[in-house]
Amino acid sequence: MSRYSRRTFLKVAGATAVVVACAPAAQQGGASPSQAKGLTGTITVSYPDELGVKPKYVDMAAQAVMSKNSGSTVKIDLQKVSDDVYYTKLLLTLQGGDVPDVFHFGGDSIAELADAGYIEPLDSYVNAWADWKQYPDSIKKGATYKGKIWAIPYGLDTRWLYFRRDDLQKAGLPADWMPAKLSDVVAAATAVKSKVSTVTPYALYAGQAADTGARDHAFVPLVWAYGGDMQTSDGKWVGNSAAIRKALAYYQTVYGQGLSPKEILTTTKPWTAMRAKLGDGSLALLFEGGWVYGGWASKDQAGTQKNVGYLLHPTENGGPSFTIGGLGTCWYLTAKSKNKDLAWEWIKTWNNKDTVAKINIEDPHPVARSDSADVPEFKAQQYLVDSTKSLEKAKFLSPDASLSKVTTVIQKATGRVASGDASPDDAAKQYSADLKQAIGASLVVDQ
Amino acid sequence: MVARNSPYLLGVTPAALLLTLFFIGPALWAVYSSLTNLALVGIDAANPRFVGPDNYARLFQDPDFWTVIRNSVTFVVGSAVIGQFVLGLALAVLIDHAERRGWRFATLAYAAVLLAWVNPTLIAGYLWSAMFDFFFGSLNHVFLSAIGVAPVDWLGSFPMPSVIIANVWRGTAFTMIIFLGALKTIPPDIYEAARIDGANAWRRFWDHTLPSLRPIAALTLLSITMATFGTFILIQTLTNGGPNIATETIALYAYQTAFQSYAIGYGSAIAVVMLGLNLIFAVFYLRWSRARA
Repeated sequence: MSRYSRRTFLKVAGATAVVVACAPAAQQGGASPSQAKGLTGTITVSYPDELGVKPKYVDMAAQAVMSKNSGSTVKIDLQKVSDDVYYTKLLLTLQGGDVPDVFHFGGDSIAELADAGYIEPLDSYVNAWADWKQYPDSIKKGATYKGKIWAIPYGLDTRWLYFRRDDLQKAGLPADWMPAKLSDVVAAATAVKSKVSTVTPYALYAGQAADTGARDHAFVPLVWAYGGDMQTSDGKWVGNSAAIRKALAYYQTVYGQGLSPKEILTTTKPWTAMRAKLGDGSLALLFEGGWVYGGWASKDQAGTQKNVGYLLHPTENGGPSFTIGGLGTCWYLTAKSKNKDLAWEWIKTWNNKDTVAKINIEDPHPVARSDSADVPEFKAQQYLVDSTKSLEKAKFLSPDASLSKVTTVIQKATGRVASGDASPDDAAKQYSADLKQAIGASLVVDQ
Repeated sequence: MVARNSPYLLGVTPAALLLTLFFIGPALWAVYSSLTNLALVGIDAANPRFVGPDNYARLFQDPDFWTVIRNSVTFVVGSAVIGQFVLGLALAVLIDHAERRGWRFATLAYAAVLLAWVNPTLIAGYLWSAMFDFFFGSLNHVFLSAIGVAPVDWLGSFPMPSVIIANVWRGTAFTMIIFLGALKTIPPDIYEAARIDGANAWRRFWDHTLPSLRPIAALTLLSITMATFGTFILIQTLTNGGPNIATETIALYAYQTAFQSYAIGYGSAIAVVMLGLNLIFAVFYLRWSRARA
């Protein structure tokens, strides 16, 4: 559908880099008087990258900051490791004294980083930033914890129920398959299992190996689909509830009937295999991150557009389907930074309209800035337009300092049921007990 | 007394200092932090509190912890005591026997076993996961498919045997090298005499070889038990403790608690229990070796 191929885009991006490097002032409008004089000093920008998309934008922003502020130096600390490895290293660094000024990490860590005192609230900066009005209220709310703004997102997370049209057709289902309710997903997977023996019907993430996938791409949307909540309105976590028992029973059905491979529980980074399998058609159904689509499309654009369908998550009784949104990755300013103004300058410079649009075309995510969605190259990509639109139907987990611990408990509960070690009811009881043990009984309610 | 011993004390001081710095210091720190709620994230990271024995109380009530202990014992007994020790001893005896007869393949066998050992653990883990992997693994896609057998989910259906096999493969060389060295110290005339007395090969091994190896066997067992007890990279790369917690050992549990749930205090409590168990093993083996010697 797109008029712009990846290669064309790379050329455009390259040209933009040159333009930005040569004319930084043109890129950054509305500098305040103090900035016109230029900031001085040195900052370190730390970020992980495995995909290879971010570095050129980071370099562009660094060049722009240094050109505009002639007395400043931006050091780049690029770590070519996965996000989870980076995070552990980052946390250990933040405990020490020699911290980066700016770092890049997932927005679901806002609460635990803020509570730990690692990051700086950005309210005074965003209030003086003209572009902040480009960010929708839902995003601002997502970046707010205890009444303060803590991070600036640029590419948001959405998730889709991906399905292979070719596989479903072989199983006797229509190419424009549309599940009215959750049980239709199981029915489709069952049809694939019985009629297309070479294809894995469904991948439902569970267990510790699935990491946050067990939470965001499986358990949490299932609980919501069954009409439940993860947290109460006063911020307590729901332990044992009807929806949680139903979600775990769904796991029992899917794993008990052999619709989802048990190897998900033991394979290291199982999503790698599952994404590859959906891409080549050997997996029929997968609820996954919106960004995964880009990997398939860059390999085989025509085949992906023809065969990979994407839908919102259905609910138990055919209520409105939805997705689970997320802040995606964000830039944070560290509390121990010795040059916060320059660090903010860097964050602001990175988050310009064009960069936000272009990096999200390359690594497909909905854009955090509304005006970036108007950039023609972004508008030209139907998938990105759909992704951005899907966020209107998205529910979000609120920023919460206990999220890491809750995630571990979710992994255990889903793993227990998927492996057949526990019934849904027992696993739900254990989920509640584990939650109480992990985050404190006062923060957990059974419904 | 002090004056007479001062040269020795002087000699011991650097080692004592290093031990204090690199072992006793961190161990004491672990004990201290196990009595706090220290964390890497959240409010506990900003204001860690002294919580007394709370972490231990919580640990001993944690049903997963007892599974983890059971897994650790199975893993240590299966891969170190039975696997590496018995196989290493058998290999050493065979290679020693072959070498004494000048058979060339002995060197080849020695090199093959040694190769498994010189690999970094991480590489060994990836090698085995490349073999065991259900979707892309060579065991399924080369061997089983060649003989027309359906793929087997090795790590899902046989998790503990799989990680034990991988660890035996990886660690047998150490025991073998130690025993090969020890076998060379046994004077050949003992065997000559036994042979003249009419003892067969089995009797010569049982009555002469084994007793001579006992002291070194105790130290070897101690060393591989502790190393295996602390193994986590291999399991982490192969199963990451799964399915569920079927291969979660105490070292992996401590790591995941401290660095994936970011609960340093609780993770330290697990590490301290692990240290205690290691000390029990050490005392047991050392007493055993002395009693026999």
